[in-house]
Amino acid sequence: MVKLLKKSVNHIFLLGYLLIILFPFLFVLFSSVKTDNGAISSNPFGIPTEFAWDNYVKAWVNANIGGYFWNSLWISTVATIATLIIGSLASFAITRMRYNKLSFVTFQFILLGLLIPGNALLLPIYGILKQLDWLNTPMALLLPYTASAIPFTVIILAAFMRSIPSEIEEAAVIDGLRAPGIFTRVVMPLSVPALVTVFIVNFMSNWNEFLLANYFLSDDTWRTLPVGMVGFRDAYNTNYAQMSAGIVYSVVPVMVIYAFLQEKIIEGLTAGGVKG
Amino acid sequence: MKKGLVLLTTLLFIATTALTGCGGGAKESGSSNGTTTPQTETKTETSSEPFELKLRHTQVGESKKNRFNILQDVVKTTEGEIAGLSVKLDGVESEVNRKEKLRAEMTNGDPPDIFDAFGSPDVKLYAENGLVADIAPILDELGIKDQFLSHTQWEKDGKIYGLPVGASIEGYFYNKEYFEKNKIEIPKTLAELDAIAEKVKKDGKIPFAIASKDAWVPLMTTNNLWTYYAGADVTKGFAKGESKWNDPKMIEAFAKHADWLKKGYFKQGELGLEYATQRNQIINEEAIMMYDGSWATSVFADKAQSGKMHGKVGFFMMPPLNAGDGYSIMFDSNNGYAFSQKAIDDPKKREAIKAFIKNLYNEEMQLRGLKEDGVIPSMKIEQAKLNETVKGNDLLEAILAQMGDVKYTWPAFDALVQADVNTALSQQIQKMISGQATPQQVGDEVQKVQDEANAAQ
Amino acid sequence: MNQALRNPLTYFLFLLPALVLFIAFFIYPVIVAIYYSFTNWNGFANYKFIGFDNYIRVMSKADFWASVKNNGFFILFSCFIQVPLIIFFSLLISNVKRLRGLYKTAVFMPSVMSTAVIGILWGFIYDPDVGLLNKILGVFGIDPIMWLSDEKWAMIAILITNAWQWTGFYIVMVLAAILSIPKELDEAAMIDGATGIQRALKITVPLIMPIVSVVIMLSIAGAMKAADIIIVMTKGGPAGSTDVMTTYMMKHSIASFKYGYGYSISVLIFIFTLLITLAYQFLIARRAERIEY
Repeated sequence: MVKLLKKSVNHIFLLGYLLIILFPFLFVLFSSVKTDNGAISSNPFGIPTEFAWDNYVKAWVNANIGGYFWNSLWISTVATIATLIIGSLASFAITRMRYNKLSFVTFQFILLGLLIPGNALLLPIYGILKQLDWLNTPMALLLPYTASAIPFTVIILAAFMRSIPSEIEEAAVIDGLRAPGIFTRVVMPLSVPALVTVFIVNFMSNWNEFLLANYFLSDDTWRTLPVGMVGFRDAYNTNYAQMSAGIVYSVVPVMVIYAFLQEKIIEGLTAGGVKG
Repeated sequence: MKKGLVLLTTLLFIATTALTGCGGGAKESGSSNGTTTPQTETKTETSSEPFELKLRHTQVGESKKNRFNILQDVVKTTEGEIAGLSVKLDGVESEVNRKEKLRAEMTNGDPPDIFDAFGSPDVKLYAENGLVADIAPILDELGIKDQFLSHTQWEKDGKIYGLPVGASIEGYFYNKEYFEKNKIEIPKTLAELDAIAEKVKKDGKIPFAIASKDAWVPLMTTNNLWTYYAGADVTKGFAKGESKWNDPKMIEAFAKHADWLKKGYFKQGELGLEYATQRNQIINEEAIMMYDGSWATSVFADKAQSGKMHGKVGFFMMPPLNAGDGYSIMFDSNNGYAFSQKAIDDPKKREAIKAFIKNLYNEEMQLRGLKEDGVIPSMKIEQAKLNETVKGNDLLEAILAQMGDVKYTWPAFDALVQADVNTALSQQIQKMISGQATPQQVGDEVQKVQDEANAAQ
Repeated sequence: MNQALRNPLTYFLFLLPALVLFIAFFIYPVIVAIYYSFTNWNGFANYKFIGFDNYIRVMSKADFWASVKNNGFFILFSCFIQVPLIIFFSLLISNVKRLRGLYKTAVFMPSVMSTAVIGILWGFIYDPDVGLLNKILGVFGIDPIMWLSDEKWAMIAILITNAWQWTGFYIVMVLAAILSIPKELDEAAMIDGATGIQRALKITVPLIMPIVSVVIMLSIAGAMKAADIIIVMTKGGPAGSTDVMTTYMMKHSIASFKYGYGYSISVLIFIFTLLITLAYQFLIARRAERIEY
């Protein structure tokens, strides 16, 4: 009995937390089909009495979510994969190749990156991209995104690769494999858990990124979802109902992807990360 | 060892070239990803040689839809006239465009071909650095150079760096019905305006609608106040060091604003509200008066936006300290379009820009802007035609009629002071609104930055 | 054996891309920032060296220190409010079997949304007239609060939003650590008659300290670079009361044509981050890491 009570106390707290997480979503969902601010204000918690579906039509036209979503998706993905390839090459060289002293120095050097806050470098990076004439092209995001994740990626991957027993690669050497072969056929397959973790963390931070995307791209063609949504908010901020529809558009695809992959994402995040 | 070093250097060389090749490839793949957009199509070479003009405008959102329609029509006509031209419209919210986007693009040396801009001090600074084109020759070719009321804000050393789309004045929009019902007369002195505010406040309504997330909105009121207390020309003197922000007369003006704040004449929580929401306080009859630019008339002329208040909003100018002193108001044409030097250097683009100017800056479009959008023409147009156009629109008629009573006009402060002084004043006025700064502190702090800015000139 | 993994060419090629990008986007920008921070560059034209003038000017501005303080609030809020909550909820979830999957999925959900969208969403919730929060407070008879426009509340409102987004992310990390603790330890303590709370505090919490230390490190890093949420929600207002160092830098560089001045703020952000990280490493992390399984 007491035990049951204890368990339910746990659940009460957790359900309370759940409510705090989910209620804002419901609020936006309900608001998105209300006619105007007045209707939201007079009946904030309930399901609307009349459904104004045209908010969704207007928001789609006005907010260009489709284009922004696609930009965000491919820019984040390409940058994340690039980081992964570059980071794992470096991690492999640092941890598995026999240049211990040089590797130690290189590793410490890259570690420095963790101490450098990316946002503080916004102005100088802006200047570099300007010199390269890459502002206003997708490269203005792809390169900084790829580069900014390198220190974190190398640290996690190096920690993971270090833990791979050297007997495995000795066997590979006997089979006649050289360094590139050992990397692609032995170490990479074994590092999948850590790679997944790093992929998820980096993808999320690229997907979320607002500051660089806001300042480095001024052309609508390449605008990413966060910047596009804020622009939409600035233009239509008097109309909360339409804005809510815009929010729903921008959230639903992420939620769908998350629903399918949540097991993988959460497991992946912890599998490589916690051990590393 | 030596062998290794040679090898290493060779490798470094190979690797760098390989890497640059790699970078180029990535860039290509980047743009090929954009095949869904029309932009890449125009890049392919065909016999009619299509080319693109990038146009940055600020006509985004519900309240600017009329002006956006006008712009779209102008673009369509221009595209029809110039073979191969396609204009790419890029809309950005005005304040973001002015303070962030454009300033970043300018230092990058890569502004859009045609862009919405503010003449002074912005465009003049860009012009000093060779980024904005002198369009005086084009105006000569089109024969419209002297048809503008004024392009002083866009002029430097006899060159013209842009064209104002319209002119505007600032003053109070008010709820006419409420004034009639409560037998309130249009104020003739500041003291009378005070009395009205007090009365409205007692009635449980908000005297002045306001939304101060962007500081230029409350500063419109402050600016008018200080021209009454310290003189219409005082603002010009700041950048030259001839007048000071902490002059006792200026402090009096800030104190007046602070006094209204203290008495609760403005909507509470104003610092969190976006400019676009200011007029809603009038439309939902929460507030009775609103200090705003004449461009806001378009909202009240549109039934869809103004709802119950459609046709029930009047306009009066901020009255002087003493009756008969003469009205002193903001009258300016500082917002319009400017053109990138790079675009003008390209003969085809120059041709397209010329057509754009011809199609936008003419009597028909100016009158259409007045009728549909409440924008006062920036070009010289016969009074009779103006009166004809605004017939039936009480609010516009009232604004045009009152412009005749004005004794002093001046450009808004942001056209006359350096960008960092504007930043400082914005910060300080918001501090005053939130009660963290006294009028004296506002004056002192802004003057400090003014001194620094003047010293750097 | 050594021959296969001792090939200078391969070693060099493997490291090169990472090093090039790292130097181009970390080291070089820092050098550039330091260089221009001693000039009066306005973004366009010529500039001249003005020594430490920019630094002296920045350091003499009360507004700048207010923005530093706000970064501090971010750190304090994450360390002293968010971290205990993270541990608390992780323990709760690890203690239940039913619905564990649901809790885990749900708490993580806000972290997959973009900060900008969350800022917009919460801006709506905080709206004084229409927003959810004041409506809820109204049910309890509490007067509306001007969340984002009152300088007393704006920073707290932002911190709450930030916590709403990231708490779940860290819970999932800590939870994984808790679940990886060998069952025997807990069972032994249970036999000794320790209560649930005692076991949690005496056994579980010490064992998860390394991961908590990581969480704190990540929170500090996050706090030092927080800017997007502020730009989206308040633009640093009201009256600069929610400016952090990064937003202060943006406001006083690009918008005011004072790049040299802006760069000096960049350098200061870098120095402050360095100091805080080092202080944390030496004072706290060292001690925490000594506890091993």
